[in-house]
Amino acid sequence: MSGSNVKGSFPSRVSAWISSTYRFATDRNDFRRNLLVNLGLFAAGVWVARNLSDFDLMSPQPVT
Amino acid sequence: MVFLSSASPRMGSVLAASAAPAPPLPPGFGLPPLPPPATGSGPQREAKNVLPNPGAFEQCHQKCKEVFPTQVNGVRLVLNKALSKHFQVNHSLQLSSTEDSGYRFGTVFVGSGQAGPAEFYPVLVGDVDSSGSLNAQVIHRVTDRIRSKVVFQTHQQTFVTWKADTEFRGEDFTAAVAFTNPDVLDDSGMVITHYLQSVTPALAMGGHLVYRRRPGDEASFLSLVGRYTGSNFVGALTLGWASVQASYYHRASDKLQLGVELETGAFLEDSSVTFGYQLDVPEANLQFKGVINSNWVVGATLEKKLLPLPLSLVLCSFLNHQKNKFHCGFGVVIG
Repeated sequence: MSGSNVKGSFPSRVSAWISSTYRFATDRNDFRRNLLVNLGLFAAGVWVARNLSDFDLMSPQPVT
Repeated sequence: MVFLSSASPRMGSVLAASAAPAPPLPPGFGLPPLPPPATGSGPQREAKNVLPNPGAFEQCHQKCKEVFPTQVNGVRLVLNKALSKHFQVNHSLQLSSTEDSGYRFGTVFVGSGQAGPAEFYPVLVGDVDSSGSLNAQVIHRVTDRIRSKVVFQTHQQTFVTWKADTEFRGEDFTAAVAFTNPDVLDDSGMVITHYLQSVTPALAMGGHLVYRRRPGDEASFLSLVGRYTGSNFVGALTLGWASVQASYYHRASDKLQLGVELETGAFLEDSSVTFGYQLDVPEANLQFKGVINSNWVVGATLEKKLLPLPLSLVLCSFLNHQKNKFHCGFGVVIG
């Protein structure tokens, strides 16, 4: 019974965590929250720029 | 080709007040930029222990900002005409529902002094609109190491900005001082000093001090700056007690450049992150820039040269999802 309660509450905990994370990320009234989120976005942007930009856009299409 | 653009406002930063928007300079008419700090793959230097000049203080975040598109609202027509190798005039007509519409006449004079293959001095740039508002600047290279610039801005018959700055470029450092709107009678003005020192061939660090004085009030702001230049990237950070600015520029290839910027407003009241890229397709004479930022603004500009005609076509669109606003612009540059 306790196992089923854990299984039953796990999805609700996950959904509650997702909801709280979304509210935290989209609350624009807290400037510290804004700065923290933007620092994370800046780090993500740097990672994307360094790791996902090494493709040649003008390379010829592979012949099949 | 000249691409006129509107300056993007910074979020409440007092440092923005120290930078007077000046008329844009055509390519090749400005002061010669010094080469970037030498890196491991850079050109060979005569002595390995000689640090290079770090360049101008304003150029720390410039590489990243140049990747972002500039917003063009409405219809803009620019006509450039070189009357001689020293003198050029340009006519600009703008029609917009969000900005002031009107006509501007501009001139560029380049002197006979030459500091490099495409670097001339003195340079005089000015433009005036139909209401009589004037933007003018004079750039001169006094000696090999000293450069000076004077900027004037008027709104019809009233002087809005008058600014004089001098920059000294040493072997491994750059120092500059600027006086903005000095008024002896009113006891007001602003003094801005920059200092940038090469610590290693890739790392430059410095400071920026702004002293502002008004009747009954005075304030000073200090910020520290650091810039690291790699083989294909440039990272810069400006830390002040009132604002923070960080930028990262990455050159992925000859055709693709990316930039990420973090800016905070005065006293950290607001912040935003902007991610942009620039795609150059020389085979199609095309340049595309895109940007997205944390304020839910998405924008892009496309610039295409219509060879063999001396025409450039500019298309721009910006969409603000948060405010449900959409701006588009169309421009033609002739000459």
